[in-house]
Amino acid sequence: MRAAACLGSRYRGDDAVGPLVADRLREVGATVLECGDEPTRLLDAWAGLDLVVIVDAVSSGAPPGTVHRVDPGEGPLPRDLGLASTHAFSVTDALELGRALGQAPRRVIVIGIEGAAFGMGDPLTAAVAAALDGVAESVLAELEA
Amino acid sequence: MSEPDGTTTREIRTDYLARVEGEGAMLVRIKGDQVEEVQFKIFEPPRFFEALLRGRRFTEAPDITARICGICPIAYIASSCNAMEAVCGVDLPEQVRLLRRLVYCGEWIESHVLHTAMLHAPDFLGYDGAVEMARDRRDLVELALRLKKAGNTIMDVVGGRAVHPVNLRVGGMYRAPTRAELAALVPELEWARDAAVEFTRWVAGFDFPDFEQDYAFVALRQPGEYAIERGRIVSSTGLDIDVSEYEQHFTETHVERSNALHSTLAGVGNYLVGPLARYALNSAVLSPLAREIAAEVGLPDVVRNPFRSIVVRAVETVYAADEALRIIGQYVPPEPPFIEAVPRAGTGYGCTEAPRGICWHRYEIDDEGTILDAKIVPPTSQNQKTIEEDLVGVVKASLHLSDDELGHRCEQTIRNYDPCISCATHFLKLEVERT
Repeated sequence: MRAAACLGSRYRGDDAVGPLVADRLREVGATVLECGDEPTRLLDAWAGLDLVVIVDAVSSGAPPGTVHRVDPGEGPLPRDLGLASTHAFSVTDALELGRALGQAPRRVIVIGIEGAAFGMGDPLTAAVAAALDGVAESVLAELEA
Repeated sequence: MSEPDGTTTREIRTDYLARVEGEGAMLVRIKGDQVEEVQFKIFEPPRFFEALLRGRRFTEAPDITARICGICPIAYIASSCNAMEAVCGVDLPEQVRLLRRLVYCGEWIESHVLHTAMLHAPDFLGYDGAVEMARDRRDLVELALRLKKAGNTIMDVVGGRAVHPVNLRVGGMYRAPTRAELAALVPELEWARDAAVEFTRWVAGFDFPDFEQDYAFVALRQPGEYAIERGRIVSSTGLDIDVSEYEQHFTETHVERSNALHSTLAGVGNYLVGPLARYALNSAVLSPLAREIAAEVGLPDVVRNPFRSIVVRAVETVYAADEALRIIGQYVPPEPPFIEAVPRAGTGYGCTEAPRGICWHRYEIDDEGTILDAKIVPPTSQNQKTIEEDLVGVVKASLHLSDDELGHRCEQTIRNYDPCISCATHFLKLEVERT
């Protein structure tokens, strides 16, 4: 089984990309795992899945709206993408913890959308908003490949 | 990094959220053996939410404020419901109130276990985080995750979902769980109660830095029960007020250098909310089992060493599991599961014990039920000044440590408070500057 895990807060500018992509995925019936701000909640949900596509805003210095695709294989999720910052127990650590405890998916892919504004109440950056539909399509393609 | 030589100026700076610069940060400036300055800055989402609430329906406040913190949504839901019920003159039927208390027990378990086991315990054992700890102590991490999940399951069954609970509303619940649904939780909660006892014994065996402060404790108090979802605001300095009188005694002052608001209690100054305060003021009404384990691990009636807050959280986890079982044991589904709140113009106040301490809300609404004004004082901002004072004390007592060790000790000191930003504390960017 394959699923997406979309992280972020709807109220924090470009951090909303995760939930906004999740909305689009649910509309077409894809499986979306929920964890709120607490990725250790993913451990049970994703244990044993064939593939989990993690969707999150990132901050790596690239232009806003840039879509990063990372396939870490057996390795850790890349920290230089800026994934592991605003969420409670980061998804990076949730994955490592899951691997240490045998509660991880067989494979993960990260789709990171470069954001520019992460303040409370910030609007979505135009380039990020423009990337949303394309990102949802790429995630679906990963889930259906 | 070199060892301090007593004459140089040391500056230790920590940015919590690399991605959102300046939201949470720590700065300690040391010159020789003098601590020149300590600044602890936190992220304050309530200001944004207060603005967002104006003009919305009074019934929307629980759902909107629940989004302030993904770890403690029930605290925001319960405080805002209390405030709206007060202004509308709604008295909750006993079984409805107990359902709110039950779901709150679930939140305490989840939040306390996440913080103590996954974020705080690694500090005491010399691990970088829970992942490294899991490689050596898989049994304990698995126990903690299962325990946390027991809390989560209560939120799921009573709250409708574990993530962003949807079943709570002003006046009660949308749907009351059946007796069978709650009875199904019992075996796992009985396991959780035993596991929490074992967990308490484990954390009580840690080495605690030798450090005490003479805190002014502030917590809710309700006769006959360990206050969670209701009560009067009391302090170790003799305060005993209704939640509506909060602003007559507590003030938030703007701190120029950091844009932050510091809470103070009139005639006292800074104060402390959270597990140490609740335990100091209310431990006599903990359940017999929770009192027994507290005595067994040698907790004094008043704990003044903030590093031992991890033990108090563990005892509170025992209590929350025990109390959840008690509530389920006497449960009769309320019919109807809520009282319809009819809006009337006025101001309502609500305060409950979030896992991190009292979370106080005030709302002014009009006759139509439109929110005219909102004020939210979360626990971490109330503790902010006290955290800074702890940091000053800890740094003074730890000047012999290297910059690295000192930075780590400061992080551990901040984690004693399980601040909302504890979120990111294992991803600290620590900068040490010498001039």
